[in-house]
Amino acid sequence: MFNVILRKELKRVFTDKRLIFSSFILPAVSIFLTYIVLGMMFSNMVGDIREHKASVYVQNSPGSFREYYDTISNKVNMNIEFIEADKIESIKDSILTGEADLLVEFENNFEAKTAGYLDREVPPEIKTYYNPSEDYSKDARGNFIDQVLNGYEREILADRFGNINYTTAFVIDRTNEEGVIVNEEKAKGKALSMIVPMLIGIILFSSAMGIGLDTIAGEKERGTMSTLLLTPVKRETIALGKVAGLAVVAVISALCSFVGIMASMPFASNMLMAGGSGGIPEFTLGQYGQLLLIMLSLVGVNVGLVCLLSVRARSVKEAGSYVAPVFMIVMVAAFSTMFASGTPETYKFAIPVYGSISAIKAVLNFELGIDQFMVTVISSVVVTLILIKAITNTFNNEKIMLNA
Amino acid sequence: MIQVYNFTKIYKLSKKQMAKQKTKSNIKKAVDNISFSAKKGEIFGLLGPNGAGKTTTLRSIATLLKATDGTILVNGYDVVKDSTKVRRSIGFLTNELKMDTHFTPGYTMAFFGSLHGLSRDKIERRTEELFSLFGIHAFADKKIGDLSTGMKQKLSIAVSLVHDPEVVIFDEPTNGLDIITARTVTDYLRALKEQGKLVIVSTHIMAVASRLCDKLAIMINGRIVAEGTIDKILKDTKTADLEDAFFELYKETAKGGNADV
Repeated sequence: MFNVILRKELKRVFTDKRLIFSSFILPAVSIFLTYIVLGMMFSNMVGDIREHKASVYVQNSPGSFREYYDTISNKVNMNIEFIEADKIESIKDSILTGEADLLVEFENNFEAKTAGYLDREVPPEIKTYYNPSEDYSKDARGNFIDQVLNGYEREILADRFGNINYTTAFVIDRTNEEGVIVNEEKAKGKALSMIVPMLIGIILFSSAMGIGLDTIAGEKERGTMSTLLLTPVKRETIALGKVAGLAVVAVISALCSFVGIMASMPFASNMLMAGGSGGIPEFTLGQYGQLLLIMLSLVGVNVGLVCLLSVRARSVKEAGSYVAPVFMIVMVAAFSTMFASGTPETYKFAIPVYGSISAIKAVLNFELGIDQFMVTVISSVVVTLILIKAITNTFNNEKIMLNA
Repeated sequence: MIQVYNFTKIYKLSKKQMAKQKTKSNIKKAVDNISFSAKKGEIFGLLGPNGAGKTTTLRSIATLLKATDGTILVNGYDVVKDSTKVRRSIGFLTNELKMDTHFTPGYTMAFFGSLHGLSRDKIERRTEELFSLFGIHAFADKKIGDLSTGMKQKLSIAVSLVHDPEVVIFDEPTNGLDIITARTVTDYLRALKEQGKLVIVSTHIMAVASRLCDKLAIMINGRIVAEGTIDKILKDTKTADLEDAFFELYKETAKGGNADV
């Protein structure tokens, strides 16, 4: 009887073009297109900043600076204009509106003060004015300091010491080719684990939510549930058939969404991996198995939650109002793992949803211990069983099932 | 055979229901200590106005609702303790029961036949019989969502009878049907009676009750106020027809108060 109900639930979904489109195709395609667009926008933004020719205004610059700048002007991607003091305020306004990127102001008598370094207490100052909320402006300041002022300082020191080599006290890692000690796979995993676990957590819940509301609350609303309850099938079997049907649909829907994420990787890897090195780490078969079991047990919790809330509602609309706050909690749990550093304490893996998403993150980081894995899966299975028990009990409640 | 002993059903009302029904009490006695029995080979009718407790009684016999007090036996099985066995032997039809609009009548028959544990051959045979009888073949491959109300009602009747039940319980069986289909249904119920099955119907239409039923229980405000053959009820109420008998009983009940708490 369980098979008959399960088959009917699957037939209900897989013979309905609209449901196939909304449950499987639409999430996958929308995720694919969203990430491609966001990835392209992210790449464009990075490229745009890199290619942008910064507008830099320099006031009160000493002659030595101008001479130095002439020697490097073709190497820096900046348009430097030397200005008088009366233009400072208008340039500041331009920086605020984004028309100018940087204003650099040299202290009066800069050259004399640098030359008289033996007679003064503090070195002369170069002031920079920029807008940190503007990427162009922030980038222009960094580049100006790195590419222009650092070199100019070395020129001054070379004059001071009589040899440019004297300006370098030490070099870091000049010959050290083995300085970077990193597990490449782990590094890739760490980049992947920034956003992907959060996405998986949200997708798995929204997949169950998308169709789960109709499976039970929809049947109650349409009056088809009572017809089913009149058959000589145990209420527990009907409940289990519906939960299993929803679980299958949720897993397939989540897989479709996951395919959408993976397909968008080449276009959106910078964004999805939070600027990481890119590429999929080489996981072992055991780690893939762990990922699968964690995700399946998480699907169990999600489906159980959606079914329990749906079965208590009289209509799809009412069920939606019950499920929406739970979805918010799931989203908070998913996002909180995104910003967590290190592996949480073992007991935290027992927290439904949060523990599972943390465990997925730990697998991608190559940091999940067997005890943490067991705690996650056992906790999710226990919670799922409790939810199923609550659902089957509710199926026997005439007031809820028949609105009596 | 159906035996109902001292059956009482009390609903607990939510605040919303209390407001809707304009009552300060959070309980409503829908059925108040009724007893009756019906045996194979007869058509037993529950006659009464809307809200009399007919549907609650039938839903309880069909195991959808649990009695607050009393016992109901179907073919010797208690509807609470042996609900699965009871459901196997009854076919229940009410307007509240609907079919999934996405499926075809053919699939729906096969699905419910499977849930009743019928073999594929038996399902095909019963489908053929019932579809021919109610003229469902013409729309057997259409989606239920595309069918008219009458077509859906015909299908609901066929689905409720797919497992050839010993006891047939129809709540307002001719509601929503055109005159020809209504006649087909009442004729079929008579045929089921001839086959030795027990048929229980509820109705608020006097003509249906007097034309169809061998025995009647008249329910008003959750109580049975008269029970027996139509002749017996007419004799007891000293009236000439069922409608007069009903109003006579209704007047007497109004004097004595109602069953609502």
